[in-house]
Amino acid sequence: MYDIIIIGGGPGGYIAAERAGARGQKVLLIEKEHLGGVCLNWGCVPTKTLLNSAKTYAHALHGGMFGVHAEKVTFSLTEAMAWKNEVITKLRGGIAFLMKKFKVEVVSATAEIVDKNTVKTSDGKTWQGKNIIIATGSTPAMPPIPGAKDNPHVVTSTGLLDIKTMPTSLVVIGGGVIGVEFASLFATLGVKVTVVEMMEEIIPFMDKEHAPQMRKALSNIDFQLGCKVEKLDGGTVHYTRASASADGAKSVKGDLVLMAVGRSLNTKNLGLEKLGVDVGPRGIVVDEFQRTNIPGVFAIGDVTGKSLLAHSASRMGEVAVSAIVDPPESRQRMRYTAIPWVVYTNPEAAGVGMTEDEAKKAGKNVVCSTVPLRNSGRFLAENGASAPGAVKVVTDGDTHRILGVQMYGAGVGEMIWGAAAMIETELRVNEAREIVFPHPTVGETIRDALWEMH
Amino acid sequence: MADTIVMPRQGNSVESCVLVKWRVKEGDEVQNKTIIADVETDKASFEVEAGFTGTVLKLVHAEGDDVPVMQPIAYVGKAGEALPAGAAAMATPAAPAPSTAAPADVPAAPAITMAAMAAPVSAAAGSSPASPRARILAASQGLDATGLAGTGPEGRVIERDVKAALGASAPATAAAIEEALRLGVKLPAQGSGLGGRVTVADVSTSTAAPSSAPVAGATGTSRAFPGPKTETKIKSIRKVIADRMAESLSTTAQFTLNASALAVRLQELRARFKASDAALGLNGITIGDIIVYAVSRTLGRYPYMNAHKVADSVFEFEYVHLGIACDTPRGLMVPVIRNADTLTLKQISDETKRLAEACRSGTAKPDDLSGSTFSISNVGAFGVESFTPVLNVPEVAILGVCGIAPKPVQKGNDVVFLPSVGLSLTINHMVVDGAPAAKFLKGLCDAIGECDILLAK
Ligand SMILES: Cc1cc2nc3c(=O)[nH]c(=O)nc-3n(C[C@H](O)[C@H](O)[C@H](O)COP(=O)(O)OP(=O)(O)OC[C@H]3O[C@@H](n4cnc5c(N)ncnc54)[C@H](O)[C@@H]3O)c2cc1C
Repeated sequence: MYDIIIIGGGPGGYIAAERAGARGQKVLLIEKEHLGGVCLNWGCVPTKTLLNSAKTYAHALHGGMFGVHAEKVTFSLTEAMAWKNEVITKLRGGIAFLMKKFKVEVVSATAEIVDKNTVKTSDGKTWQGKNIIIATGSTPAMPPIPGAKDNPHVVTSTGLLDIKTMPTSLVVIGGGVIGVEFASLFATLGVKVTVVEMMEEIIPFMDKEHAPQMRKALSNIDFQLGCKVEKLDGGTVHYTRASASADGAKSVKGDLVLMAVGRSLNTKNLGLEKLGVDVGPRGIVVDEFQRTNIPGVFAIGDVTGKSLLAHSASRMGEVAVSAIVDPPESRQRMRYTAIPWVVYTNPEAAGVGMTEDEAKKAGKNVVCSTVPLRNSGRFLAENGASAPGAVKVVTDGDTHRILGVQMYGAGVGEMIWGAAAMIETELRVNEAREIVFPHPTVGETIRDALWEMH
Repeated sequence: MADTIVMPRQGNSVESCVLVKWRVKEGDEVQNKTIIADVETDKASFEVEAGFTGTVLKLVHAEGDDVPVMQPIAYVGKAGEALPAGAAAMATPAAPAPSTAAPADVPAAPAITMAAMAAPVSAAAGSSPASPRARILAASQGLDATGLAGTGPEGRVIERDVKAALGASAPATAAAIEEALRLGVKLPAQGSGLGGRVTVADVSTSTAAPSSAPVAGATGTSRAFPGPKTETKIKSIRKVIADRMAESLSTTAQFTLNASALAVRLQELRARFKASDAALGLNGITIGDIIVYAVSRTLGRYPYMNAHKVADSVFEFEYVHLGIACDTPRGLMVPVIRNADTLTLKQISDETKRLAEACRSGTAKPDDLSGSTFSISNVGAFGVESFTPVLNVPEVAILGVCGIAPKPVQKGNDVVFLPSVGLSLTINHMVVDGAPAAKFLKGLCDAIGECDILLAK
């Protein structure tokens, strides 16, 4: 009898396993493919590794301003992919080591829940546990667009991470984070990239002033916004403008077409219907302790549909373990108000908390302060005087509480956690101003924005 | 015939113990080592073992009774067995055994040692016994463990209870506190933020039931008179302290003299001890230790101060045994430095520390806590300027030590301010007059003023 059986070894499942093991729980982790889940194998890590290759390539090409001239700069997809695979293998080994260290038993098989204390695996075994944590994640969604099915030009993010030859052109359907990251990756490497997005703006949760500036900064990408894809014909994508002032039907052709229109949650073939687990249209329904409606059965990560980010999945895993091992009065809760996000394009974007619009919609007396990243000596030195980038701090003019911090520009992904800490602790402007930032760093612009606030 | 379990004797000087809690009931089976009751003196708590095997036939006393030592508290035997003759007569639970008043003929060992201190003890008297760990944790957080509801074995207050009590007031973010102030509401006990912090959202949701109380209270119009109150029964140790205090004030004629001693040398000496080579082991000697030392060396010259009044006699003691009032989580305790007049300053300092620690952790033995001939209560750390210590009867005097403050002193035509320590001496005027007491106090002030010379004697 295990204390906890975890289904799925992604950032939700393996972190839950590690935390539970550290608390002396007897843990079984069942993973059908690779430890690390989508994040490590087909998501966060491979995309960031390839994006780094692209950024390095761009630096080599554009170092002249800094006195560095390189000739015959080339990009080798084979070598970049090899490095990507090496990174993944190393990190997988790291997770396997952690599982050993915390005495987590790992089974390589597909799991299905039999009852609230029993799980059976594809290798014919059954397992008993006091608690079950469902962490099965998500897979790329395939919308029923005519001509998409069995089209050799069409790839998902998973497929695109495994290509053997560089395309000369790429059409990305979907202007969300995944679509824009791939668009930036290939555009930086010289591929002709078009993004077709149904909404009027890319990256829906971004600040409404920052998003157009981001698009401008991603000038090597052709954005077709407010456009609906009607059908695919080989590598040709037919779309129409959705708005009234439409200028009719259009099409664009690519060697490859990336389908990046969302993720479908892995709730099927898990035995959830039989067990009676409440699965809503947006995933498995959980409370703030990650409990499902069935006692002893928890769900975390993408499969809950609450926040499709790796660090959210991990945090949910910690919360679920706390719900299992801690006494009721010291149980942790899942909070979504201070979860940071990062888009690793070139340049990057990041944010945490409310945007200006969201704060206004919430009825706050919103006071914002925006500072260009060029104000930072380090940013100017390393990126040049015309490099795009800004930070916007959103506050409540009545209580002076910091409600959100939004930023874009080179390297902002590395500093957003500091803003998350401010929001999580409900700091007010005056208090946050007292925090000392190292100089010269780009993060100082957050401090500048706080001091510019009146 | 049934066996008789008696209230055990806890050290030589304890005359009676309060029966705090029965751990068995009539009809229970007990073994030799079964704990049948928790009892306490005013200093420490103990467990009583059955000492026999069999069925509990009768519990003689009710919880809360003060039972003289060696008196029967329970009978054990075979079910249905007859009780020893005379047992039934004692078995009226309502009648608490008379607490033994100071035994008139045994002056050497006062039954209960206890001194008065200004600081009130905050213990709710419905006190449950607390484990030493719970008490230490509580004391370190300024909490009184005995006032808490215990969830340990037999309702004992254990560490978990103290933690829960501390956690009961979850930390709040500054913004949440401001929001609570703005809305005029109390912070909720539990938060949903980082580490359980109370957040702004928690405050807003807790206001779902709006409270108009603060406004009404401020105008004073809708406020009931006299308002809500809580009742706590005075029992157990608090009851003993209450009775002894009343006895002290009602059976003696208390009279307090205030003086101050120059503390220049005192502070210098303390500073030099503090800075001395750690190998000498003198770094921990405090101002209080030096004053205790001065008292131990001065009392010998004024034997009428080192005395007990019992009934119609005064007993002057040759040796000096000093009671040191100690504030502990369980309330005031007065451990005794025996033969203080023979100890060096370092020995006095070490013994004081040992006793204080034993009292705080609940490990003091009854004999550590009895037999004083003169007591000292030091409230200097709280900045008290003068007070009236209450006699630790049957002692005839108690010294209160106050804080150090600069005092004007005339030097030629000039006035200089010199640090002085305040001393408040209470005596029993029935047997000691003001002038002899003042002489002792003057002698003590001189000894303290020249404490460095005193040490050389
Ligand atoms: C291209 C791409 C880039 C991304 N970049 C980022 C990023 O930069 N930052 C970020 O925070 N997030 C990123 N994400 C999202 C992130 O990958 C997910 O939010 C995260 O992986 C979710 O973790 P999880 O543990 O819920 O599930 P997953 O990582 O999806 O893991 C679920 C695991 O469960 C296994 N599984 C499923 N069903 C069963 C079963 N029945 N039996 C056994 N095992 C099963 C799967 O094999 C899988 O390994 C990216 C996603 C993609 C696709």
